Order: sequence, then C-alpha cells, then structure tokens
Amino acid sequence: MFTKRPQLALLALLVGCARDPSATEAASEPQPTVPSSSASDLPGHGSLAQDNTPKEGPRLLPAEVYIQAYLDIFGGLSPMAAELASRGKEGSALFDAWRDYTASLGMPDYEKDIARNGQTNAMMLATFERVGIALCDRAAERELDTTPRPALDKRTVFAFEPTPAAPTEAEFATRFDVMHRIFIGYPAAMAETPRSKRFFDLYTSTVAKHSAKGAPASGLSPQSAGWAAVCYGLVRHPEFHTY
Amino acid sequence: MGGIPCGTVFAMTSDMKRPLLVASVLALTATASSADAARTLTEYRYFRALSVDLAGRLPSRAELAAFEKPEFDVDKWIDAQLVGKAYADRLRRAYMDLLRLDIGNTFAFRPATTVLRRQTILGPDGKKIYVYYRNGQRRSREATDGVFCLTKAEVGVAWTTAGVAFGDLKAVDAAVLAANTVTVKPWWLGAESWLAPEMLTDADGTTKTTEVRVCKEEASTASTGTVFWTGRKAPVAGAPIPYDRVQALPLDDGYANTNKGKTVACDHATAVTHTTDCGCGPSLERCMPAAGNNVEPVAFTLPSGSMLGIERPTSTEKTTQSAWDRLWWGQEAVRYLEWLARDDRDFREVLTGKSTLVNGPLVQFYKHQAPASCCGNGWYFGYDKPEGLVDSSKLPALAPTDAANWKLTDRGPNASGILTMPVFLTKYGTRRGRAHVLYNVFQCRQFVAEDVKLEPSTEPDLTKRPGCSTCHATLEPMSAYFARVLESDWTWLPPALFPANSDKCKSDPLKMSGACKSFYDPSFTSTSKSLLRGAYSSAANADAGPSGLASKIATSPEFSSCVVSNVSASFLGRPLGTDDAEMRARLEKTFVDGGYKLRALVKALVHEAAYRTANNLKSDAWRETEGK
Amino acid sequence: MNLDRRSFLKCLGGCGAAAAASAPLLRAFADPTAGQDEFFVLIHAQGGWDVTMWADPRWEQKGLVDPATTKNSDTAILKKWKDGPEIEAGERSFVPYQPAGSKIVFGPAIGDLGDKFDRLTVINGIAVNTVSHPDGTVFAATGRHLAGGRVPASSVDTILANEFGTKQILPAVSLRFPSSFIGSTLDRRAMPLMVDGIGSMGRSLARTNLNLGADDRQAVTALLSQEATDLAARANDPTAMNGFALQLAALQRMTGASMQSLFDAAKLQVAQPKFDYRAQYMGQFAVNAAFAVESMKANLVRSIAFGVGSFDTHNSNYVDQGQRQQETFDMLARLIEALDATPHPTRAGHKLSEHTHIMVVSEFCRTPQINQTGGRDHYPNGSALIISPKFRSNTTYGKSDPEQLLPMASGKFYDGVRALTPADLIATFVGAFGVDPRKYMRDGEVIKELLR
Repeated sequence: MFTKRPQLALLALLVGCARDPSATEAASEPQPTVPSSSASDLPGHGSLAQDNTPKEGPRLLPAEVYIQAYLDIFGGLSPMAAELASRGKEGSALFDAWRDYTASLGMPDYEKDIARNGQTNAMMLATFERVGIALCDRAAERELDTTPRPALDKRTVFAFEPTPAAPTEAEFATRFDVMHRIFIGYPAAMAETPRSKRFFDLYTSTVAKHSAKGAPASGLSPQSAGWAAVCYGLVRHPEFHTY
Repeated sequence: MGGIPCGTVFAMTSDMKRPLLVASVLALTATASSADAARTLTEYRYFRALSVDLAGRLPSRAELAAFEKPEFDVDKWIDAQLVGKAYADRLRRAYMDLLRLDIGNTFAFRPATTVLRRQTILGPDGKKIYVYYRNGQRRSREATDGVFCLTKAEVGVAWTTAGVAFGDLKAVDAAVLAANTVTVKPWWLGAESWLAPEMLTDADGTTKTTEVRVCKEEASTASTGTVFWTGRKAPVAGAPIPYDRVQALPLDDGYANTNKGKTVACDHATAVTHTTDCGCGPSLERCMPAAGNNVEPVAFTLPSGSMLGIERPTSTEKTTQSAWDRLWWGQEAVRYLEWLARDDRDFREVLTGKSTLVNGPLVQFYKHQAPASCCGNGWYFGYDKPEGLVDSSKLPALAPTDAANWKLTDRGPNASGILTMPVFLTKYGTRRGRAHVLYNVFQCRQFVAEDVKLEPSTEPDLTKRPGCSTCHATLEPMSAYFARVLESDWTWLPPALFPANSDKCKSDPLKMSGACKSFYDPSFTSTSKSLLRGAYSSAANADAGPSGLASKIATSPEFSSCVVSNVSASFLGRPLGTDDAEMRARLEKTFVDGGYKLRALVKALVHEAAYRTANNLKSDAWRETEGK
Repeated sequence: MNLDRRSFLKCLGGCGAAAAASAPLLRAFADPTAGQDEFFVLIHAQGGWDVTMWADPRWEQKGLVDPATTKNSDTAILKKWKDGPEIEAGERSFVPYQPAGSKIVFGPAIGDLGDKFDRLTVINGIAVNTVSHPDGTVFAATGRHLAGGRVPASSVDTILANEFGTKQILPAVSLRFPSSFIGSTLDRRAMPLMVDGIGSMGRSLARTNLNLGADDRQAVTALLSQEATDLAARANDPTAMNGFALQLAALQRMTGASMQSLFDAAKLQVAQPKFDYRAQYMGQFAVNAAFAVESMKANLVRSIAFGVGSFDTHNSNYVDQGQRQQETFDMLARLIEALDATPHPTRAGHKLSEHTHIMVVSEFCRTPQINQTGGRDHYPNGSALIISPKFRSNTTYGKSDPEQLLPMASGKFYDGVRALTPADLIATFVGAFGVDPRKYMRDGEVIKELLR
C-alpha cells in the first residue's frame, strides 16, 4: 500500500519534468507526516505484548561441551576413566571408545582440516543414542539399583528417592523435574510441550513391560528400567543438544 | 504476569524496544512485593547458554538453584566466568576452528641430525641387544663411515638406508662392541608415560630399560665439530662396495672440499653428514628416540584426542618419532591463544607478540632440533650458524621431559605472534599460503576470482600477469613478508647474508648455481640482478619480515571488524549480517576503545539482545512462555 | 526457455538460439523417473592431484613443465611406468600409457584403470580459478566458490539425493566429502549423512539389550519425534526441529539389524574382498568403495560420496604421488569390476554397473614445475574422471596448454568461448539425468558433447 508521500513526490517529479510552474508550487507544499501510532492503539492489541525479541534458530551444543556434560553427569571422571567406566565388564556392549564417536559428534579435526559440524544428522543422533544409553544405564546401576544408594547430593542423574510403589503422576513430576533441570536446564513445568505427561507415560509403559511375565532379562529392576528410559529421553532430547 | 524479579541486576541494552521496556517496568512494579518471582524460560535458556559458552559445560544443579534465587547476580556470574579457563578455551576454540593449527603425519620433521634409529643385533652372549645410531653419521673408521657403527663382518648384517637387512645376525665380539659403542642414560627415559611400550624394555622384551647402547660417535657431547674430509676418490664404475657394505662409501662433497677442518656447530644439518665428532649431546638431548630402524619408527604414546585439553585426552595412540614435535608445536599455539584470552592481552598480539609459552619439549626443540633443518646450500652465503625465529638464549632451563611446566618467554626480535610458530609455518608451508590464511582469518577477506580467464603468459611478475593479477597484486606483497622464512620451515635468512638483491647470484639464469637457485629466483635473475625468492614484489616487505605483515594487518581497519565478526559468529552460531550493523558498530567500539581486549568484547556480546533474548519461538509461543 | 537472471544478463546475442538448442536436450532427458534406479558415486581426491601423472600426461621438459622422472618419483612401484626420454644424466621420464584401442593417453600412475579405457571419460583443462584448498574443494563439489567463507550452494550429491533419493533409507551418505545442503526448498531427507568413516558408523549404530531393549528404545524415539514435531510447530524457524524429527525416523531404520552389517568394516571387507584394504595410502578408503557396492546392492542409498587422499605433495613426499594415484585408480578398477558382478536391486537382469555413475574430482592440480623442496605446489587447472553409461567413453574432453598446463578453451558457452569449469561439469553430470541445473546452480552449462 502506497503512502501519500511517495505519490506526491512522484507527481512532483513528473510535473517538474514538464517544467510547469504550477508543479513547482505543488512540490513546495508542506508534506504530510507519516501517521504514528503504536500497535497497542489497534483494536485487540491493547493487552498483547509486542514480541520484539530477535529470532534465531538453535545452536548445536559444541562436541567439547557435550563430552564435558557427559563427564560431569558421569561424576566428573576424566574422558579415559569415563570410557573405562562406561564399558564396565561388558566390553564394547555399551560403549566402544571416544575415538569411535568424536567425528560423528561433530568434532573438528584440525589435522585433516575437517570443519566442526554444526548441524545434526542421523548418524549424530545415532551416536547421541549410543553414548546416552551408556550414560543412563551406568547411572541407573550406580544410583538406583545399588544397595545402599549413594546420598542424594552424590547423585548426578537420579538425584531423588524413587517411590516405594508406582508413582502417581504428581510424584513422577517432582522427580522428573529434578532430571529435567539437570539435562535441559529449566523446570519441567515450563516446557512448551506436555513433557511431564509424555515422560510419565513412557515411564509407566516401560515399567509395565519390564514387570510383565516373560519380560526379557535386564540388568535393571523394572522401576530402574523406567527411570533409565526417562534418562534416555532427556539425554537424547533436542533441547539437551541445542541451546 | 511474569517478568524480571525486582532486585535482579540484569543489563538492559540500548536496543531494547520501548514497548518491551515499558512492559518490563510494569512487570517490575507489579511484582515488587513478590520476593521469589520465577525466572522466565528465556532467562533459564540465557543462563544455560552462558554456561555453555563461558563455562564450557551445562549449569550444575547448585548453580541452577542459586540462579533461581532473586538475589542472584548474573553480571557477577558472567564476570567470574570471564577470568576462567573455560572462557579462554572457548576463545581458543573459536580461533582454532579458523586457523586449524594442527599437523598430521603428512609433515614429518625428521632431519638426519636428530633422528636416532634402533638396530637389533646379537650381543656377545648371543642374545638380542639394541644399539642406537644415526643414519649418515660420519665415522673415522672407513668401514662404517656413514652407516651403522658395526660392520657386516662384525654383526653378520648390513642394512640399507630404509633399514632392509642383508645377511644373518651373528654374535658380536665383546671387545669390538666396547670399542664402537657406549651406554648412556637418554633423556627420554625421564618421560616414560609418553613412550611407546617398545621403548620401555630391552631387546629381551622384559628387562626395564635404564640405559641405552649407542654408537660412540652419536654419544658425543661436543657442541662443535670439525668438517671431515676424506680425500676419497669416486669408485670405478662396477667396482664392488668395500667392506661388504650395501651402501656406498660417502664421498667428499662441495661443502667438505671448501670447508675441510672448519669448526661447525653440532646442532645443525651439516653436523651428522660432515663431522665425526658431533653427536646427540648430553643424554642424547639433541636426538629423538625410535623403536626401529626404518624411515619412521614408532617411539611414543601420545594423546590423539585432546579437545578437552592435553591433560585429559579422550584417547592415546602409539605413534612415530616425528609426532612428538608436532604435538608440542600444536600445543604452543593452543597455550598462546588461551593465554591471550585468559590474561586479557591486547589481542593484536596474536599477530605481533614477541612472547610465547614453552615447556620442556619445546625448549628442547628450539634449542637443539630447530637448527637441524639449516642450512643446506646456505653455506655458500656464509650461513652456517642458523639464526632462528626464536632467540634460544632467552629460553628457560627446562628438561625435555618437563612437559607440564609451561613458562612465558621472550622469543626475540624476529618473533611475531603465531606467524613465527613452527605449527603455523608448517601448516601453511608456502609464503602465499601463510599470507592467504592471515588475509582470511584476520581481515575476513577472500581471494576469489570468479570470472577470470587465465591465458598462458611469460610474465613472471604475477602482480602484472593478466588474470593472475586480480588476486596476486595483493597476495604477492603480502607473501613477500615471508621471503626471509624458508618454506615449510622456520629458518630465518638474515639480510646481511641474503640481501633482497644479491650481487653474488647475478648471472645468466640458465647458468645459476644450485646454491643460488636455492635462495634466489631464476625468473628474476639476470646479469644485473638476482632477487630473493618471494621478494620480487617488495624487497621492503621481505626485509620487514613476518612482524611487518603482523603490524600491517593489526593496524588495518579490517582487523577489529574481523575480530568482532569471528567472535560474534562463534557465539551466535551464525555470521553477522546487514541487520546486525548497529550491534557490530557497538561491539567494534567496545573492542577498540577497550584496548583490543577480548574480555570486554565478549562481555558486551553476551549482553546483546541477539545473544540474550534471541529465541526461535513464534510470537504467540513467545508470549505464552513469557507469561505475557 | 527458462534462463535465470544471471544467465540472461550474461547472454549478449546468441542467447535465444543457444538456449533453444539446449532446451530439446533437457526436454529429451526431462523424464522425472530418469534417476530413480540410478546410483551415484562421487569421489573427491583431496589435496590437488598431479594431473601430469594420469590424465594429462607430460613426459617432456617443455616450457614450465618438469615431468615426473626416475629421480623425483618412486617409479618402481608404478605398474604402467616405462622409462622414457632422458631428462638429465641418469634421470628419465616416462613413456605415456595408451593401450591398444584406447583413444585416451594416460600417465604412468593410472594403474589397472587404464585397461578399462572403454568405460572412462577423462576431462582436462578445467578452469578452477583458485589454489586455495577450502575454496577449490567447495568449487569442485558445488560449482560455486566460497562466498565470504561460506558455502553458497548445495553439493552435487545433495542435488542427486534431492532429485532421486528421498525414498531411500539413506538418500546421501558422505564420508569426508565436501557435501553441503543449502536452501530452504530442498527436502530435508536429502541432507547428506556426513561421517568420518564407515567403521565409526558401525560402532555408533551398535545396540545392546543389556538393560533396555529395542522396544524401549523405540518408545523413547517415538516420544522424541513427538517432541520435535511439537517444538517445530511452535518455532519461528522449524528447520532444526523438523530435521530432528526426520533424522529420528531415519535412525530407527538404521539401527535395524540388517543395516548394521553394512557399517561394519570387517564384514564389508569379507563381502568385497577384491579391494586392496592394505594399500599404503588409500587402503583406508577402500572400505568406502565396498560400502558403496553393498549399500547400492541393498538399495539403501542413492548417492555415496567420499574423499580419498591426500595428494597435497608440496615437499619430498611428491615421490609418492604416483603411488597414491595408482592406489586410487586400482580401487576404481576394482569398483567397476564389483559393479559389473553385482545385480541391480530393482532392475531384473541388469547389473549395477549399468546404472551406477561415478565422478572423481579434485580441487585443483599441481604445478608443472618441481619446487625447491622436491614437490609440486597448487595450480589453477584441473582434471576429472567420469565412469558412466550416460557419458561418451574412451574419450578425453578439454585440454591444457602444452607449456604451462593452464586450461584452454574447450567450447562455446553462453558467455563465450572458454575453458570448462567445475560448474559445467556438475551441470552436465546432473543434466545427464534430466535435472535442470538451474534449479540448483547459478552457473554451469550442460556440455552435450560429453553425453551419449
């Protein structure tokens, strides 16, 4: 939609080209000002907050920070100690070696001039899953399925006491919130999706599967398997890997 | 409605739009009576981003709990991170992503002077023993001159340069062994954790090595030697090699003929091939160990994944002799960049700085090994005492095994930031490659000639050649600053011996001597001139050296803008665009007015709305999450 | 006629006629199913290879040219090396290799591939206009130079995956190839899966049922897909979250048992034993070629792209340049043989070789002169190799000048007589399958003479 001012300017130009004295007079008339009003003057906008925030797509967590987060969640071990602890006595069942994963995680290689990968791809997500499973399974073994369990302040993933019986949704939510803050960095209730409910459903279905007669053998109790599944979901979540 | 709790110190930038500011003030007023008003999702995400970028990790539970308290001071938290190691790592990473200062095994620094090989022979008792030697070592005993110090007659085998054996091993006589070899405690046994397993035991595979046996010439601790001249005549064609050798006897070359009896330093290239009295020095400190006798033997177990720091590698691997130097060269650049950030130095020192950080291995390299690539045909110009880019007299006294002890040291007048570090000079081995990367990384400019046609031409001056001049008019003068630093090397060519225009090399270019061609360009040689390679476009730039280019770039208008671009792009995850013009101007002013210090720049950047309140939410979604 | 603005501006007079002439070509090939059963292998020879040793052989000292000789090269290992003219006392160059029936003259590093001349299209004299590794690499893969340090266009493997591959489980796999995915209109599924190597892929895909089983993991993946989809719906720019959702879907297929053996280097070596996995320089990349054959056989991919190298021999390491090339070309010979022996997964009675199209490029070539350290530096000329039933074989297209090895004009293009560029090569390669290059590329024209 044209405003008045350009139309008058155009007219002035055309008239000027024809060298009509009256055009000069028209061109020298005072120009109307552009009307100014705020969005709040518009009907329906009075109570609507203006969103003037800059819009940016998410950044991928740098591979170094991802590995550091893994180490911190694993209890502050060095990378090679964490590798040994992740492998445990099962050899390469849960974890191979960091050198098998660093390229897929997007780490640059300055020797070979391979640039840092700032976008996810299916192989990266596969690696996130592989590494995340090791982290969650070992954390569940260490913090849930051990007697006695470590003190709460010594736990890095499951920093809560599981309920003696199947938790209600509210009981789950308070525990899930602890994990959500660790991995995602804000209260679960603030999530933009029905996250707590979704994870509750995941937890209960996993526990049910592992409690059922004829369930496949597992190194974890059904309840711990449920929490491990919750951990899988958080350590693979898009909001964990982006910022 | 939610909002920023009162009492929170939260920097407001001038680009916040008025309605939002009004909304925020209303929010403050509305919640003035609530001491524990919740953080918004944007604020949680901001804190997480700050933790990722400035602390190199996710926020801990304790930190998050503290953050949620109304008295938490985000600015104070930011300031605390900006003096931490993780912040320095972050900036080092930003620049290493651009410079990629690490070298793989395509570049192997293994000059004959510093390379020790390990031969397996049978001792007097018939059991295997190791003897270390240097290939090409001159020996006064003719039978072993230039090769291993024991003959085929004595040990049963003779070896080629590549380590291929001819013959069958037999036990060596004890007296012969004693006459030609000695035992030494070498420097590397003080660094066992870095050694490959093969280096830790004797030839029996079980006895822990406490000293090594080495040919006696190699064990010499002399710092100077005498040029060895034999007077040997070239053998008659077809005549068998004497002493049952597989390598011919070395003959006297031009250097030996001209300099016989002259004193030379034992730490540079001529020492091993032209003296019998230069060895590997005390504790064999001038030489690198090896677990074999081929061209690139295994020697060390080194970190192969050091993205979290060399002290915390993700993996280690057995690797070759030359990998030791490459590792520490790379670490020098890493430490230097981190130091500039951590100590909040004037960032222009990345190009101009005279200091560096060295540890024991780097001191060993600069003092004893760096000269080993000098001087080749330089002797023709009187250059037989290498002048390095590092004044070794200024280096701290650190043992070669003291890898964890890093000291700041002055490198001397020829040094200039990363431009004169071995890792830079070898990663970007050619003069033009060096200039090109600096043009990209520190001036944010590219040499791209999309539609240029390149026609054959005999014009040697690329600044004038049609087509080529599009880029080379700029590139050649920049490259000229490196004309006095040998390519893929760090040897400095002093103007007194290598003038930009050499009278000594003026000649018909087709008749130029090999020595002249090594340093002077036949394309710019005639009977009236002979120009130093790389210097034709600017002798003045050549004489100014790398520090001249460093100064030129650091004082160019593009430098500060480019730093802002690179740092911002690294933190924002995207390049700056035209919409960022105002932010860019603010950041550049902060950077320049603050003395070209990165800390102020980063602090300002993380307070910019583009970092702090940026989100990927549709407006409805944003209002919902912010409770507006 | 559908010229983009740049081509229109470039055209001065003959534009209409030239465009009309090419239009029937495109219409004839504009069969939307042209590439559906085809497979593509793109190889990048990293570092810039010495073309005088294989595609553009120079055996005489002429002008700037210092040929490969018995002094500057390790010739004992080169199968096709035969001593040629004496350059200096005791130093000989080579006799070029031209098997009976071959119209192509090869250099001595061509290895076994030279005997398959009837399958080869050699392109010389490519005007690369750069000697920068990053810029030349991007130019070779996309047909565009870097713009302000950024890649401005999608790479050739992305183009092919977008056109023909979105139904495959893995439309594009990229193993250290300079792949790029640029543009908001491309199908996200076509984004190349970029990894360092096959072996590490296999380990990332390994799963155990030690504690939780496949059903549990799939339930988690389903939850995350929902999360990603919901977050995308709320996003100002949904690209990243949509990408997550698509990649999660691909992941589920990739971690299936049948896929894992494809990413197991040891199993690939057993399945394809004829590649030389122990070759000194290129042995590590042979497993990528084996992966290409096996994944095409299983109809899982559409384009596979990988890098081999390095050929960046500035110093005395030039002595091995010939060996590096020979190992690469021997690998290609084995690849052709494997494709000849492997049935096509969907075209009964056909072999993979009838429907696989290979293009091998490098970012530039090396100087005709030997430098002070015994090596060759970068040079703004290029050669490429195509192995494709769609291309005229046993032929060499393009040339460089005899004394300075610079690209010479190879034909008449819209913007005049000039040498061909990487953009023309890519445009021709994709145009051979009916893809309009203008859909993806600002530059480059289809060179009809290269096509059957």
